[in-house]
Amino acid sequence: MKAVVIGAGLGGLLSAARLSKAGCQVDIFERLPITGGRFTNLSYKGFQLSSGAFHILPHGPAGPLAQFLNEVGADVKIVRSDIITVRVPLKKGSQDYEKGFKDIPFNDFSTLLSHKDRLKIAFLIVSTRKNRPSGSTLQTWIRSQFKDEWLVRFADAFCGWALSLKSDEVPVEEIFEIIENMYRFGGPGVPIGGCKGVIDALESVIAENGGKIHTETEVSKILVENGKAAGVLVGAEAHKANLVISNLGHAATACLCAEALSGEKDSGYLRRLETLKPSAGIKICLAADEPLVGHSGILLTPYAKRVNGINEVTQVDPRLAPPGKHLTMSHQYVAPDNVKNLESEIELGLQDLKEIFPDKKYETLLIQSYHDSWPVNRAASGMDPGNETPIPGLYVVGDGAKGKGGIEVEGVALGVAATMKKILG
Amino acid sequence: MKINDNCVGCGQCASFCKKGAIEVKGKALATDACVDCGVCVLYCPVKAIEVLA
Repeated sequence: MKAVVIGAGLGGLLSAARLSKAGCQVDIFERLPITGGRFTNLSYKGFQLSSGAFHILPHGPAGPLAQFLNEVGADVKIVRSDIITVRVPLKKGSQDYEKGFKDIPFNDFSTLLSHKDRLKIAFLIVSTRKNRPSGSTLQTWIRSQFKDEWLVRFADAFCGWALSLKSDEVPVEEIFEIIENMYRFGGPGVPIGGCKGVIDALESVIAENGGKIHTETEVSKILVENGKAAGVLVGAEAHKANLVISNLGHAATACLCAEALSGEKDSGYLRRLETLKPSAGIKICLAADEPLVGHSGILLTPYAKRVNGINEVTQVDPRLAPPGKHLTMSHQYVAPDNVKNLESEIELGLQDLKEIFPDKKYETLLIQSYHDSWPVNRAASGMDPGNETPIPGLYVVGDGAKGKGGIEVEGVALGVAATMKKILG
Repeated sequence: MKINDNCVGCGQCASFCKKGAIEVKGKALATDACVDCGVCVLYCPVKAIEVLA
């Protein structure tokens, strides 16, 4: 079988590794000179920043991505870093960190609730595993159970960090699937070498199995013959294949085969694509001589104005920064209406960091924003249309087609695994 | 160097600029240090950079 993969981001490379290992002849076409998409390293002033992701795997060495890498024989070391702390004001009733703060373990979030609500949480933690809530957003569900703004703040910080969404944009089913996955696979981990450690390992697998990656090569059209995917057009050259995997998200993929999707039977699919909303976010990369977060996991900041969470990957892999330096990265959700006000959103994020690290010395290395055609996620978590398209033999992988309950790259791996099962059985 | 409205501010261009000539804050901005070498054009994921003729 001949397969073409469009886009050498994580989803494309995972697919190519699996298909080439199964004996397919695989060609990967990537428009940019670099591979890895929004999951690779960017060298900047001696630091290994990233093109998107935070150098973490949300479920660490036991998660869906780590399992997939293991199955295809990609040699990556993933170190568990599952400490999650939550920064809360020192004084009860404070709405920010100005008058002092303390960090509590993630699992102690309920200690900030009333005695009655703590009992209710304990009951819900057990009962919701059997009877999952459904049919509303996470925020609506929380408000239907509790009258406590702390829980909404906490949910917003978690959803902002993990999905770049607010709790009123996330289906409650998606969050409960994520919670179940946290039980199943555990918390985060850091790949040694950062995102690029994963990308390099996948490229080795692809090369060993005869797959070819063509960088600086743009696909201009997906060929469809007799209603089926038949290959791609690169310049004037046709590359025939039985299988086309697109790592571009559904909307951009549909644009490459617009003629083939112009029939009446495809109008439902095209209408669905119009409803897909990419999620937006801002990452601020800091350099410091001393640790800012102080541990290898995640610091959630529910009382900041914009920043949702921060990690410090040099706690696990010091080589991601020059000797003696730390690389600390914050993430903040950007609401759809605020994408046009990115500069003021960034200012609020920078003010937050001053409040979160009041007595620390650090330098802002680079501020990176993601939205629209280069977003945090091409489709908001829990909202994507899956991996299939109306054209047999054409599949979509990547962060626009993740499958349920998968946080970021874990979702990418779940989506690719499901697609490969459909193709290879 | 002209940076068009496609720019999302991802900073990828800044990391590949050999002159350290690109500042990013919601959008990329070429500073006076820019020599119009065009390296950044290749690395932009959203086709936002055009070299002026």
